[in-house]
Amino acid sequence: MRAGVRVTESNGNGACLSCLRRSWLLSELSAPLDYRCRDRGRFLSLLTLSDEDLVGAVGGRRREELQRAQAQFEARNVPLARGVEAVCRHDPSYPPALKDPGAPWMLNVAGGVERLHALATAPTVAIVGSSRATDYGMEMAKSLARGLAASGVTVATGLSDGIAVGALAGALEVGGGTITVMAGGLDVACPVRRRPLYQRASKAGCGLAEVPCGCAMRRWIQAARERILARLAELTVVVEAREGSRELAGAETAQALGRAIAAVPGRVTSPASSGTHALLMSGARLVRGPADALELLYGADAQTPGAPADARTGLEPRLRDTLERVGAGRDTPDKLASDAEDAGATLLALSELELLGLLTRGDGGRYVPRHGSA
Amino acid sequence: MLVSVDEAERKGTGLLARAHTFTIEGLHTRHVTVEVDIRAGLPAFTIVGLADAAVREARERVRTAILNSGYEFPARRITANLAPGDIPKAGPGLDLALACALLAASGQLPGEPLESHALFGELALGGEVRACQGTLAVAQATQDAGLGTLVLAGANAREAKLVEGVDVLVVERLSSAVRVLRGGPGDSPMQHVVEAPDARGEQAPGPDLSEVRGQHHAVKALVVAAAGGHNSLLSGPPGTGKTMLAQRIASILPSLTRPEAIEVTRIHSITGELAGGLASARPFRAPHHSITTAGLVGGARGRWVGELVLAHNGVLFLDELSEFARPTLEALRQPLEDGRVAVVRAHHSAVYPARFMLVAATNPCPCGYAGDGERCRCTESDMARHRRRLSGPLLDRLDVVTHLERDEAHDLHATPLTSSERARERVTAARERQAARLKDDGVAVNAHMDVRMLLKHVRLDANSEAMVRRARETGLLSARGQHRVLGVARTIADLRGSERVQPRDVGAALALRPESGLEGSRAA
Repeated sequence: MRAGVRVTESNGNGACLSCLRRSWLLSELSAPLDYRCRDRGRFLSLLTLSDEDLVGAVGGRRREELQRAQAQFEARNVPLARGVEAVCRHDPSYPPALKDPGAPWMLNVAGGVERLHALATAPTVAIVGSSRATDYGMEMAKSLARGLAASGVTVATGLSDGIAVGALAGALEVGGGTITVMAGGLDVACPVRRRPLYQRASKAGCGLAEVPCGCAMRRWIQAARERILARLAELTVVVEAREGSRELAGAETAQALGRAIAAVPGRVTSPASSGTHALLMSGARLVRGPADALELLYGADAQTPGAPADARTGLEPRLRDTLERVGAGRDTPDKLASDAEDAGATLLALSELELLGLLTRGDGGRYVPRHGSA
Repeated sequence: MLVSVDEAERKGTGLLARAHTFTIEGLHTRHVTVEVDIRAGLPAFTIVGLADAAVREARERVRTAILNSGYEFPARRITANLAPGDIPKAGPGLDLALACALLAASGQLPGEPLESHALFGELALGGEVRACQGTLAVAQATQDAGLGTLVLAGANAREAKLVEGVDVLVVERLSSAVRVLRGGPGDSPMQHVVEAPDARGEQAPGPDLSEVRGQHHAVKALVVAAAGGHNSLLSGPPGTGKTMLAQRIASILPSLTRPEAIEVTRIHSITGELAGGLASARPFRAPHHSITTAGLVGGARGRWVGELVLAHNGVLFLDELSEFARPTLEALRQPLEDGRVAVVRAHHSAVYPARFMLVAATNPCPCGYAGDGERCRCTESDMARHRRRLSGPLLDRLDVVTHLERDEAHDLHATPLTSSERARERVTAARERQAARLKDDGVAVNAHMDVRMLLKHVRLDANSEAMVRRARETGLLSARGQHRVLGVARTIADLRGSERVQPRDVGAALALRPESGLEGSRAA
């Protein structure tokens, strides 16, 4: 069982036995890892241990049983769902960014290993953020992903609620390439309500998981996927995060790896953006839209195709005025009407702006400016 | 012509008498002929003809009332038949007819007058005649049955007199009924009978729009909804005044027309919710969200008429819309479309009128604070579940959706936008415009226009046309949504007093439309 021996028999795993065994072992150790992942720093270093040390460190009472099972491990112990391929770090098509000791040894890929290689070697931006996003955050995540994807940048996200899903949807709107890192086995980790989105995503992009198919969603996998996202992406953009949240920890991981991190500012009074503001204070770059992110990726003079220079310039003054006031927080008809005499004209302006695609309606009847309409 | 009991007995024939009355089934009255036969035999008093418990108990009431009024109750075999025999008879209103037929059969009253009089009333043990529910319906049925005169209790007289062409004779006691049937005068009408039929209308001002501070957008939306009869949804965090606003809708609706008032009176008189006289206020029904489907639609035993029907010509207010059981809400679809509800049960089937304006209120999310920045504690799956509950065919039938917002500035110091009286004037004027325009189409308000009428009556200028087309192209509006927006735009133009629909009307209607694709609008 030497490293580097490709297993091609039975279930078509394109991964070597030792890497397969690693992935199997991790799924077996899910329970103790869930416990250990609360201490992030030690958890990430735990994942760099060799198989034997890992079992020794967290195996507990199952140590001997696991050692026996490890010795008898066969490739068919790791199931593969339909449409899923396995690839390990000894394979030339393994994403180069993940060939370091802190990264997973092998990946399950939906959408094809070749495609993953192509997507991962293209410029990649990870968009992360709160799962309890505001309308503003969702809109920013969507427009950011839309602009980046339209410029040929790969958008890497998770599939958790909020910002991640917004970014994925935004990238798919323009048919961009996406990498979705799942928090469980590829066949089971997608919640039912996300299935249509996930299916669209795996048609044009890739789904990734470091654990075998059939492994349920786990907290430790969520924590561990940050190190995948951080490595895949040259730039990690935090759209909305509260202070002390997991999303911020992901940005720290990226920073520790020497990757660029950036944050989208919000209103300073909004707790939903308190984490991003803290990041900005500590030196993260500020991103206002796709143009800023592209500039960070390519340098100052980058061309930005499909930039939002468009509709806004030709607006009538009354529409531009309304749009500006909505942007300034007067986002409901009542608030807008309080400093305009004619409520009918306000409603007309709002509807016209909505028809132009410059406003959209969010929760509670609020209007949200659409950033860089597609 | 009186025949003595003994004489009839010698011939071997019984003595037969007939009287006319009515029973109420759901909202419908059925003509009942009471036949009483007295013949020799062991003393007994039997009632046949699908009588319910109240009618079977009439035996005791009738017997005691006859005796206490000083008449003779024959100690023979008495059989009363309620024809036709296949429809169930319910309620105590048959007492009076039963007693009079019995008196006629026993020769204490001439039989002929009973052929031309309808009798309706419950008897007290002392011989007094009590008022019954559903008088208006009975009076209408009396007219339809070709009977000229209706004999009933004084408390019911004012309601019965709403039907023109029926002589109403008031009797307070069984003995008065005998006197009336012998050609004598009725009892003197009591005080409230003299009152003008509409006098009750002006009393007790209800809640008024001038009590609503701030929330100008919502108040305007409500006026639009009231003017066009549009079904509407109020959405907003707890404590922003959704219920308060909804309760004031009835105060800005135009007063009932006479035919509408008659319909409302008829329905509410049958369910016993009216003291008598013509209903003046539009019904406002606000059932609790624990209501069952049968409670809403009707068709439960002992409650044929549901809340939908009771809200006919008025407002049905469903607070906390997302808390209602899904099947209950689904049951609203047919009535919202047709203005009537067909209730079919094993033992009963009927079509009832149910043309009401639906006003629903809901929180924007389970915790109530969605969109309110940090206060919302709902996860995205909570939100998705909430949207799913609200979405679907019912939401599709709502024309006007308003979001109320919590805004400290709108507290008690804010100025009210308008008073109910002013708003009602505008609404009434707008409704008159609609009525004039729609008089050939058989509907009264814009909300009830079908596609053909919309095409005929909603003429858009070029700019409005372009807005609607763009809304369709960008997927903001579905085909059905487009029709709803056109109807609402028509109403807004009517409120302005304009025959032409302008871009500002369409713009406002678009702003009031329900969210397109409520489910998953945030994500995919």
